[in-house]
Amino acid sequence: MRTTFAVIAGVGLLLTTVPMQAHHAFSAEFDISKQLKLQGTLTKWEMINPHSWFHIDVKTPDGKVEPWLIEGGSPNQLIRLGVTKKTLAVGVEFLVEGYQARDGTNKAVGRNFVFADGRSLFLGGSAPAAGATEGK
Amino acid sequence: MFHRFVAATALAGIVTALLLVAPTAAQTRKWTVPRTADGQPDLQGFWNNTTYITLERPKGVTTEFYTREEALQMMKRAADEEAEQTEPGTIADVHYDFTQFGLDKSQSPLALNLRTSLIVDPPDGKLPPLTDEGRRRAAARAEARKRMGALTDAVQNQSLMVRCILMDRNGPPMLAGAYNNNYQILQTAGTVMILVEMLHDPRIIPLGARPQLPQQVRQLEGSSRGRWEGDTLVIETANFTDKTAFQGSSENMRLTERFTRTSEDTITYRFTVDDPATWTRPWSAEVLWKKAIGPLFEHACHEGNRGLYNTLAGARAEEKRAAEKTPK
Amino acid sequence: MPGQLRPALVATIGLVTVLAVVSPAAGQARGYRAPRTADGKPNFNGVWQAITEAYWDVEAHAAAAGAVLELGASNAVPGGLGIIEGAIPYKPDALAKKKENYENRLTLDPEIKCYLPGVPRATYMPYPFQFIQTPTYIMMVHTYARAVRTIYMTDHKDAPADSWMGWSNGHWEGETLVVDTTGFLDTTWFDRAGNFHSDALHVVERFTATSPDHLLYEATIEDPNVFTRPWKISMPIYRRLEKNAQLMEFNCIPFVEDLIYGHLRK
Repeated sequence: MRTTFAVIAGVGLLLTTVPMQAHHAFSAEFDISKQLKLQGTLTKWEMINPHSWFHIDVKTPDGKVEPWLIEGGSPNQLIRLGVTKKTLAVGVEFLVEGYQARDGTNKAVGRNFVFADGRSLFLGGSAPAAGATEGK
Repeated sequence: MFHRFVAATALAGIVTALLLVAPTAAQTRKWTVPRTADGQPDLQGFWNNTTYITLERPKGVTTEFYTREEALQMMKRAADEEAEQTEPGTIADVHYDFTQFGLDKSQSPLALNLRTSLIVDPPDGKLPPLTDEGRRRAAARAEARKRMGALTDAVQNQSLMVRCILMDRNGPPMLAGAYNNNYQILQTAGTVMILVEMLHDPRIIPLGARPQLPQQVRQLEGSSRGRWEGDTLVIETANFTDKTAFQGSSENMRLTERFTRTSEDTITYRFTVDDPATWTRPWSAEVLWKKAIGPLFEHACHEGNRGLYNTLAGARAEEKRAAEKTPK
Repeated sequence: MPGQLRPALVATIGLVTVLAVVSPAAGQARGYRAPRTADGKPNFNGVWQAITEAYWDVEAHAAAAGAVLELGASNAVPGGLGIIEGAIPYKPDALAKKKENYENRLTLDPEIKCYLPGVPRATYMPYPFQFIQTPTYIMMVHTYARAVRTIYMTDHKDAPADSWMGWSNGHWEGETLVVDTTGFLDTTWFDRAGNFHSDALHVVERFTATSPDHLLYEATIEDPNVFTRPWKISMPIYRRLEKNAQLMEFNCIPFVEDLIYGHLRK
């Protein structure tokens, strides 16, 4: 029994089975050396699979507007929690930390999505309950 | 920081619920499975087979079951790791945060399973030895994979999962992946349908003594026939191709899946793999499916598979840039 | 004589009654009563298929050459009577887009890429589909691309998000299954001729059994972005009578990968 229990401490690491293939595919699509932080307003959230896509308008320092496409997670679990296409209003502003696409275009994977006040877009921390709308 | 809080809260909720319900092997109150209008045991509804348990028993673990406390500690540790912020600049960080989309395991419905492996037979919790043919085939497949080149050289070099053709949730046998491990079971008088959320994949299993497809007709998910044995749904599947190779199996693998609803919110799913061309003996595994909430929203994977396109395009773009930089 | 009908009149009334039962006019309530499921509803379970040339072009059309030279007559367009009376009532801009779709159908038709077919195209694809019918959900499972439609029979909600196959709420009206579908993406076509819609598409379908082996399928299609008014389609659907009729697996993704990604090969 004692042997078994002691080994479990190490075994815990083996048990989080997020498949390596998934990670590998992402680092093949996005460039680990191109970390970025973007602040933009939402023009459209494509709630599609296998990964959803956020269309945002980012204001550049010289006042221009650059459209960016940010990859996020499958929306299916959020839908089960009450999120709909109406949950994020067009025009809502948020920050994205992530990595830019290897093909050099205005695409990135969104490592972290937060509103200006630090709350997560959907889940995590003191985020509003899923299903609450922002700026109805 | 926030994510650890969410994961810990979610897991604490699950743990509390499990401790209160105390699902032990011996039920203190006899529960009987409800019946459909056609009189069959009712397996209908939404189910989730997420698990932290690996197929094979981990090295150094010698018992068949953890104690409750060991299992809960293990799950908590795994949940904490899932929620931990990944280190910027590492491969693990080049991904969206699962927890922000509710896709981590600790935010999934989870049946408390004290097993130390999903494999229940052989009793050591490990795959049986390979036959000579199984070993040769594994070596040949590894060789073929090497000859194919890099993953990004061609779409066919990527896995069936990345190409949205087949995922572990589909199988069969149906095993959980990282997320969206949801299923909907529907029953009519003559048919059972299992809608697998991933790939929005409809398994339609005719019940009764209907012949299998002819031997020469092979399908990625094989051909399935079902029947009831008491309160257990038994599904036999054969006619696989050589493209899926479940755990290294051959196309002549025969799979038997058994579904038994063991409580209001749990189905015990047990499957047996019989493939004498690959293993010296059949082997079986057991997974607990937990009641989940619907809906299964459409998973149009191939239609939305921009990531695959971007990955291949990105590799070609980088090669082009590298070629342009190289002096002639 | 008062109080008594003349024999000829009685016979005529009798004959008219018999004819009314045997040959009901199209669009009226059927005389046929389908066998029931355990919960008392018309039983549509089974494997069915539409037999119509509508999958090429829902409007009436003559035979025409196919778009691929090497496929010759095997991919030529057969003539069809159409499933709509008259023409689809496009707005002028939309009609121009339809023509552009048709000219570029080889690159634009989502069916060619094994993309989900949408509604009502899935119903008249030239392959069998299956009804799996329970009191709370009726599933339509299609051979092509293994497309699945969930018809919610209770707890009707709005679509949480848009999808290829739409969000379907269904209810029974006597012998007829009525399915109301919204929540479409604009990515599907109605046929191989480039007839299309926007994400405002709204489809109301009626399925009615007219014999043990036939359903009458009627659908009203509405899209204020594309059409000047709603329009209707109608066709019989036939039961697949082969012993052990079933859907074969049609995972068409491997068949189209070189088409979609081939130019990205190293």
